[in-house]
Amino acid sequence: MKLKIIIIFFLLQLNTINAKVLVADPNIIFKNLRCLICQGQSVADSNSEFAQTLKLVVKDKIREGKSEKEIYEFLIDKYGEWIVYKPPFNKVNSLLWILPYFALLIGGLIIMALVKKRSNR
Amino acid sequence: MLSNIGNSILFLSVLLCFSIIYYSFQNLKTNKDSITKIIFQLCVLQSTFIIISFLTLIAGFLISDFSLIAVYQNSHTLKPALYKIAGTWGNHEGSLLLWVLILTLFSFFFLILNKNHSKNYRIYTLIFQNILILGFLFFLLFNSNPFSVISPEPKEGLGLNPILQDPALAIHPPLLYIGFVGSSIYFSAAIASMLSNYSGKLFAKSIKNWVLVSWSFQTIGILTGSIWAYYELGWGGFWFWDPVENASLLPWFVMTALFHSLIVLEKRNLLYFWVIILCILTFILSVTGTFLIRSGILNSVHTFANDPSRGIFILIFLSLMIFTSVFVLFKKLKINSYNVNFYSKETFVLINNWFMIFYLITVMLGTVYPIFTEVLNDSKVSVGPPFYNTVIIPVVIFFLFFMSIGPKVRWIKDNLKNLNVILGILFFSILINFLIFYLFKSYSLISNFIIISSFFLIFSSLIDFVEHFKNHSIKNYSRIISHMSFGLLVLFIGLNHNFSLEKDLNLKLGEKITFEGYSLKFEKLYLKEFKNYKAIIGEFEVNNLKDNFNLSLYPQIRIYENPNTLTYEASIKTGILKDYYLTMSNIDRSDYYNVKFQKKPFMIWIWISVILISLGGFLRLFKNEKKNY
Repeated sequence: MKLKIIIIFFLLQLNTINAKVLVADPNIIFKNLRCLICQGQSVADSNSEFAQTLKLVVKDKIREGKSEKEIYEFLIDKYGEWIVYKPPFNKVNSLLWILPYFALLIGGLIIMALVKKRSNR
Repeated sequence: MLSNIGNSILFLSVLLCFSIIYYSFQNLKTNKDSITKIIFQLCVLQSTFIIISFLTLIAGFLISDFSLIAVYQNSHTLKPALYKIAGTWGNHEGSLLLWVLILTLFSFFFLILNKNHSKNYRIYTLIFQNILILGFLFFLLFNSNPFSVISPEPKEGLGLNPILQDPALAIHPPLLYIGFVGSSIYFSAAIASMLSNYSGKLFAKSIKNWVLVSWSFQTIGILTGSIWAYYELGWGGFWFWDPVENASLLPWFVMTALFHSLIVLEKRNLLYFWVIILCILTFILSVTGTFLIRSGILNSVHTFANDPSRGIFILIFLSLMIFTSVFVLFKKLKINSYNVNFYSKETFVLINNWFMIFYLITVMLGTVYPIFTEVLNDSKVSVGPPFYNTVIIPVVIFFLFFMSIGPKVRWIKDNLKNLNVILGILFFSILINFLIFYLFKSYSLISNFIIISSFFLIFSSLIDFVEHFKNHSIKNYSRIISHMSFGLLVLFIGLNHNFSLEKDLNLKLGEKITFEGYSLKFEKLYLKEFKNYKAIIGEFEVNNLKDNFNLSLYPQIRIYENPNTLTYEASIKTGILKDYYLTMSNIDRSDYYNVKFQKKPFMIWIWISVILISLGGFLRLFKNEKKNY
């Protein structure tokens, strides 16, 4: 019985997938961009002129109807990968994205092996 | 004058290190069960000397003795006394002396507090700890001497970086240093344990309190840094995945893994070599972090004026440490057969370690990856918050579930008997999440899972707490508090993330703007003189249109003269349910000011959760004290 209720709740939770925002949120984009002339600050956090200009550029692009992803691609073309805080998945960055999960997998296998040894005996 | 005192004392401390090491080896050759008196006396002397040298440097700062380069570069006669004192460790040289001070004090206390452990083990620990002290003393004397003189003596100092002119400078670095320099003692103890064959349960007993001390302080140290960044840097966030923050988090992950594994070693005599590896790794990561930051390889808000020669020194030292420990480890390593059941507490501790190592690898990779791409591929990449959030957050959900169930499972073997309770808690957690979601505001699927899993952990811990209370058992309160607070931490971070409101506005004096249930009016702008800076202060009136609630906020632009810097001070109104956060900055060639308004829910609860997490550590420490000594 309880299990059924939980399943129903989980199904209700699926509604949340639809709750995604359709228009790109400029504040989220600002946070994901590095202020190129500052030390370790995002565009959202910086008071520099560069950041102010970039904010206008991003807002313009959103007005043009560009998606978040398209805006990042545009900025990477212009300034290089240094500008985005989330490195795009490509050949150079593949290790960065894969290694953590690989480590998770190996760790899991080691624990399985340690625990299994016992049950075989 | 002070320079001479400081230098002679440091030089004498070097001699003391050598004599402690010499007498320790002499002591090893004898068959006596006790440590000779002379070693104790030398250690007392050593600690006293290092304390005096540290006080000498503080005195230098306090009386503004500008013949010392460190004082000249980082102080000014007009600074309030608190910042003069705190300025002692607000620079590379001074902070390194603090580093040596903590190394020495831990060495001394480990020697005198571990009387009922084997002599050889204690002596070896002392030897290795003194080698570490010696290494850092050499570093101080030959590369980063805080007592170096400048002549002719300047009339006035250059002043302290305004961002550092904050009461938090007085507590944040020392707390953090106790954490990660404190980890040196179990690095030394781990090597000593292998060399003296003092392993297993006794070894676990001898270091567990030291691990707890460093972990608890590290936690509080990270927290103070986080709070400081929140109000000082004006970004409105509390964690930025900045390289220095990561450097403090890496040892924290390993320490956390370590004291969980230590419980298994103490209770079941398993995982000895794994514990050794974690001991060694903690301190190596602490030194590596220092190396990356001080050498200037990684840039961050914490960068002191850096100098590559420092980097080389630390790198050589680090390599020696790694080489020695790996060499000893491989010589002694035995692969034991393990005896672990699938459903037992041991398995869950292993699972804790599994996740900790995953966090460690992710954060470490993210921190150093840009260095590698730049060197190997000549491409500059930035790894920032969105990377860590994407990789880590989904895994945290599972971690929280394991963390809820693990502590209730018995040692050796247990059966899954309380499935009904677990399902009940899960049901309740989903229900509450569901209410928040539909009553207040919808958020993403992953946020749903985060909030469900954190409630799951909180409720499980609460039930645990009630059961313990009924049984009048005080055994596990510390663990319950820490685990529950971790659940609270994740919950409040999740809510904070989803219910924050942020507005970036350009306003002119007298202008009023209305947005999302709030109105903001730029009332006044005036200049005020303070002791060590001038400030342009803006007065803003925030109006919550729904509750008709008014409040005034006063963000500042500060103009410091020594050194000449502009800083932006946020104005924060902290409340039980939410913080209001406002920053203001001028826009060149314009009457407009860039104003950032933020509503940050539950900020204070994030801080409280972390305080409670470390409180758990301190409570466990007191309990251990009562039991053992």
